Amino acid sequence: MPLLTVSNLYKTYRLGRVDVPVLRGVNLSVEEGEFVAILGSSGSGKSTLLHLVGGLDRPDKLPQGNIQFDGRSVTGFSNGQLDEYRRRDIGFVFQFYHLLPELTVLQNVTVAAMVRHGLGYTARSAKVSDDATTLLGHMGLSHRLEHRPAELSGGERQRVAIARSLINSPRVLLADEPTGNLDHVTGAKVLDMLLGIRRERSQTMLVVTHDQETAARADRIVRIADGIIQ
Amino acid sequence: MYQWLLVRKYLFSKIMPLLAALAVVLCTAMVLVTWSVMGGFLDMFIRSGRTVTGDVVISWPNVGFAYSDELVQKLQADPMVAAATPVIETYGLLGLPDGQQKMVIIRGIDPKTYSGVTSYNDILWWKPLTEPLEKDEKKEDPRLQSDLSEAMEFYERNGRALSRIDDVTGEEKPAVVLGIEVSGFNWRMEEGFYKPQQFVRHAPDGSETLVNGFLPRDGEVVISVLPLSRKGGVISQKSRRLPVANEFQSGLFEADEKVVFLRLDVLQEMLEMQQASRIVEGTTPAPAAEGEEGESFAYGEVQATVIDPARVTQVLVRGKGDLGTLGAARPLAARVEEIYAEFAAAHRGEVPGPGTIQIMTWEDQNRTMIAAVQKETGLLLFLFSLISLVAVFLVLAIFWSMIAEKTKDIGIMRALGAGRLGVAGVWVGYGLAIGVVGAVLGGVAAYFIVHNINPIHEWIGTITQKLTGDRILIWDPRIYYFSVIPNTVDPQKAAIVLIGGVLSSAIGAIVPAWRAAAMHPVRALRFE
Repeated sequence: MPLLTVSNLYKTYRLGRVDVPVLRGVNLSVEEGEFVAILGSSGSGKSTLLHLVGGLDRPDKLPQGNIQFDGRSVTGFSNGQLDEYRRRDIGFVFQFYHLLPELTVLQNVTVAAMVRHGLGYTARSAKVSDDATTLLGHMGLSHRLEHRPAELSGGERQRVAIARSLINSPRVLLADEPTGNLDHVTGAKVLDMLLGIRRERSQTMLVVTHDQETAARADRIVRIADGIIQ
Repeated sequence: MYQWLLVRKYLFSKIMPLLAALAVVLCTAMVLVTWSVMGGFLDMFIRSGRTVTGDVVISWPNVGFAYSDELVQKLQADPMVAAATPVIETYGLLGLPDGQQKMVIIRGIDPKTYSGVTSYNDILWWKPLTEPLEKDEKKEDPRLQSDLSEAMEFYERNGRALSRIDDVTGEEKPAVVLGIEVSGFNWRMEEGFYKPQQFVRHAPDGSETLVNGFLPRDGEVVISVLPLSRKGGVISQKSRRLPVANEFQSGLFEADEKVVFLRLDVLQEMLEMQQASRIVEGTTPAPAAEGEEGESFAYGEVQATVIDPARVTQVLVRGKGDLGTLGAARPLAARVEEIYAEFAAAHRGEVPGPGTIQIMTWEDQNRTMIAAVQKETGLLLFLFSLISLVAVFLVLAIFWSMIAEKTKDIGIMRALGAGRLGVAGVWVGYGLAIGVVGAVLGGVAAYFIVHNINPIHEWIGTITQKLTGDRILIWDPRIYYFSVIPNTVDPQKAAIVLIGGVLSSAIGAIVPAWRAAAMHPVRALRFE
């Protein structure tokens, strides 16, 4: 049974008085431990699909589509359940890193665990801090723990973002153009890192990209164009 | 947990939130300074209110009531009562040396027992002074002059005895003690002391005489009163020329401008309220017998001699302990009512009944003025609290713009799984943190200002005098009556104002927090 199943998913945005359909009946399934690349050009709806799968947005109510995660219907989740789903099961990596500029590298990673555990974080803080330090060490950022994002290179920032997405050991890692803002060499290193993580942790990964080279390293490529899986 | 981390990081990373904190600092300090000064003013006022009335007053105006000595004894035997004294209070006319006639309140007192109930000895103004008043840096107060110290001792002695010893005959004459503002001859200086003035008296023949306005030396006044019979009928006006023994300053302008002290026995005599015998004509069927107390009948006679006991209009009572706070004298007043009821029962028909006699605390007596100061304080606080709403709107505006700036952070936190309430909590917590910082600093600033308000006031006066030639005097002792500005901060008031400051900041953060919570995570992440 697939870990993630997307069926008949529609999403329409309203721009002024015009309805713009972005996803038009998307169907997709991802097995546990699988690395799936969603390949599509700009505006094809791949990021929207990622946001819907990650519970950041909701699909159109009609036609009725569904996102099943580990046997549960994500589309039927309440707002609170969606928050919990993102905290427990999903890790996001964005093209523009999206780190909090006031926090240090270490804090940018541990803040995800703070959100995950709430008041219970206090009891776990030492372990979380150790885990974050180890993770960042694996990413080659041991010397950057107390630095702020503004003091890091693009590649370093993306590695911090990856560490943050993994600190809560999510079931699925969703990456939206993770190498899209990096030069070729740095992008390749980041991709190597993602593949390494996938190998070590059997991490299920859904990576959105428009780069053929990135997509080629996935277990499976899903092409999306005009909101429809090809 | 993450809320606390973000609040800490945001708090000191930007200038704008510090501006919001500064607004809270200013508003907190402003309200606390106002409340402290006005509250201190009210406390001073209350303290002054008791200086001439004691804690509780038993009063039957105009006609007065008898057997006051017995009532005083009964009162003093009670464990709640420290001392009691009889007083006569009446309106009268005061003829001053320059010819002006003033309507005054004449208070007949027994100085010894009156000073046991009130602060009479302390409020006498003309007496030797060893230390100058706080603002009298040049030591210009006449009471400080060493060559006048003997004279000042003489005036003080005269004031305490309510008499003046004649320089020539050595005879001790009954005298009056005037409120320091009664004559209008004493000018109150900026430093808080008085300088008696000289004035010109114009005679009907056109001649002019220079008169010394310092009345305790050799000044005399004419007191005129209107005696009333026991039934309230007017008898005839009585006038008497009396020397001035001293003057007093109670701190209560109403008293200092209107009250004149005179010896109880002298005023009793002028008002015909002293013990007196009278002959009652009529027929009596009763055989010759010993009559009631104070009355004697002869068998077959149709005339009787009746002794009318002396009357007073008030008995003042001082309770044990400090009853100087609002409401503190109420239990004593209740006890005095009980004692008076026993006294009235023993003299049924001769003294006013317990339901009709007026028994008031010092607070009741000064209620109009206390209420006025309380209302003024309340009004000022209300106005400043309204102004403090500026802080709420400033926090709101600053937070609103900060949330626009931090939209992406909100999107990130939502992507990490933070709920709407959690995100709102960051901003409300941020508002609370700014409120705490602002209120604490505001409290410290207010304490510093209030504690040093008199030196600051002096400094402003000195600076403005140097710059403009005119000295700005906000707290003018000639007007406000207290020579120094109250300079204590009440911890309870401080706590209320500080909590208000924190809450106002949190309230200002609520609307922006709601805006942050309502943001769509995807739109927030895509925000540029």
